[in-house]
Amino acid sequence: MVRIGSGNGDEVEGQAAAWAVRSAERELTGEEQRQLDAWLAQSHRHLGAFVRAQALWLDVDRVAALDAAPRPEPVADEAPRRWSRYAMAASLAVALIGGGLAYDRLPGRVATERAEVREIALEDGSRLFLNGGATVQVRYGEDQRRIVVRDGEALFDVAHDSARPFVVTAQGVTVTAIGTRFAVERRHGEVEVTVEEGVVAVDEAGGERRLIRANEQFVMASTGARRATLEASEVGRRLAWQRGLLVFDGQSLGRAAAEVNRYSDVAVTIDDPTLARAEFVGVFRIGDGEAFARGAAQAFNGQVVVREDGLHLMRRSNSPSH
Amino acid sequence: MMPCDMDHGSRLRWFAREVIPHEPDVRRWLSVRLRGLESCDLDEVVQEAYARLWTADIDKILNARAYLFVTARHIIGEHLRRSRIVSIELMADLEVLNIVDDEVNAHRRLSGQEEIARLHRLIEELPPKCRQAFKLKKFEELSQREISARMGVAESTVEKHLAKALRLISQKMKSAEQGSEVLKVGTDRFWKRGRG
Repeated sequence: MVRIGSGNGDEVEGQAAAWAVRSAERELTGEEQRQLDAWLAQSHRHLGAFVRAQALWLDVDRVAALDAAPRPEPVADEAPRRWSRYAMAASLAVALIGGGLAYDRLPGRVATERAEVREIALEDGSRLFLNGGATVQVRYGEDQRRIVVRDGEALFDVAHDSARPFVVTAQGVTVTAIGTRFAVERRHGEVEVTVEEGVVAVDEAGGERRLIRANEQFVMASTGARRATLEASEVGRRLAWQRGLLVFDGQSLGRAAAEVNRYSDVAVTIDDPTLARAEFVGVFRIGDGEAFARGAAQAFNGQVVVREDGLHLMRRSNSPSH
Repeated sequence: MMPCDMDHGSRLRWFAREVIPHEPDVRRWLSVRLRGLESCDLDEVVQEAYARLWTADIDKILNARAYLFVTARHIIGEHLRRSRIVSIELMADLEVLNIVDDEVNAHRRLSGQEEIARLHRLIEELPPKCRQAFKLKKFEELSQREISARMGVAESTVEKHLAKALRLISQKMKSAEQGSEVLKVGTDRFWKRGRG
């Protein structure tokens, strides 16, 4: 019910804005949530003002994504260049529609479902591969091609353009490339950069610039930064998801299952610890947890038991231990 | 038209896309009808309407613009009945009202280009600190913590700047941009019918 004449409209909107900004930034603490609930319970109007403020705050992202350049440039020679940005937005939109994305996805922002790997062609000839459950934002400007990795893993096949560096940011780590092929993953608070071809420059807040070359990996973790050299075959294996595949080549079955479960709606659990340590070789389609479980059962003379929480891989009760 | 299992974010995006663009028109429509009704505040009617839409089964709302107008009309109607204000002209107006045809057709959505231009105009009107924090948040996509380091102010101050920016922008979004949305002809015809 509207209690007309009660309270000050401006004050209500101020509070609504404050709650909208805070709840978009982070999860509210228990105490904050109680305060918000109490405020919302005071009046139905508070709910309306809060909904409105949240929708406006969220919608700015959509409009900002339409616009690749943060600052408005001088009007004079702006028009022709602006068009290329809209052309970008348009080509992205086409890619999204082609991929069957839900209609309400934001232009410039691309996300994949858990069991979905998507390839997106960008206007400059670069290609973007999104691993399952990833979200990135594409922002092409006149002097920079910029991608923000919000979550998950993305692989970039960058078209050479020395005038417009290709810059990927993820959680404070910046990766700059001119023409190369590399992957950036943001997951569980870590950022991992894997270079397949060429060289990229990695910058992080307060650190010095590092050059990461083909078959090298840079990891920014809470414990600090580290780099590692990988075999070319290992890089290929790790990045096989870009072809929709998961490749295992001697990894433990337990780790393989964890990797499979990243993409599969049906969780595969290895109950037997000795089985979980067994080395496993195989190639599977992303999202197909069942094929993985069946394949592993066959390889290790085990059996797959279907339970409510997913598939369980166990040794046959009558089989001799491996 | 709408996905069935809409999460919180999808509902908010639906509001941003389907409801907020019509708010200036519904406000204009309301302001004429609420003139002289000092006990009835425009902001409060709109807030109440948003709350009702939020709790409605929005999957079933095919025309959000019409729904917003009708909801606003109900809210004033309830208020009038409760407060026992006798205003025959206004009540008649509310009863006869056929919101759906003319007003719906009168709306034109802003193009992406116009939306970008409007956002930049709104940003330029913000006070300097608010503007800086807002740009860092929405264009550079920094966290409040990163913004506080960049601007050299406390995180809580950043949050205040951002909340103020949102409040100011939300204030500006109440009125339509010049010469953009409403065909005056449609509104006039609608008016005559309403009074008829």
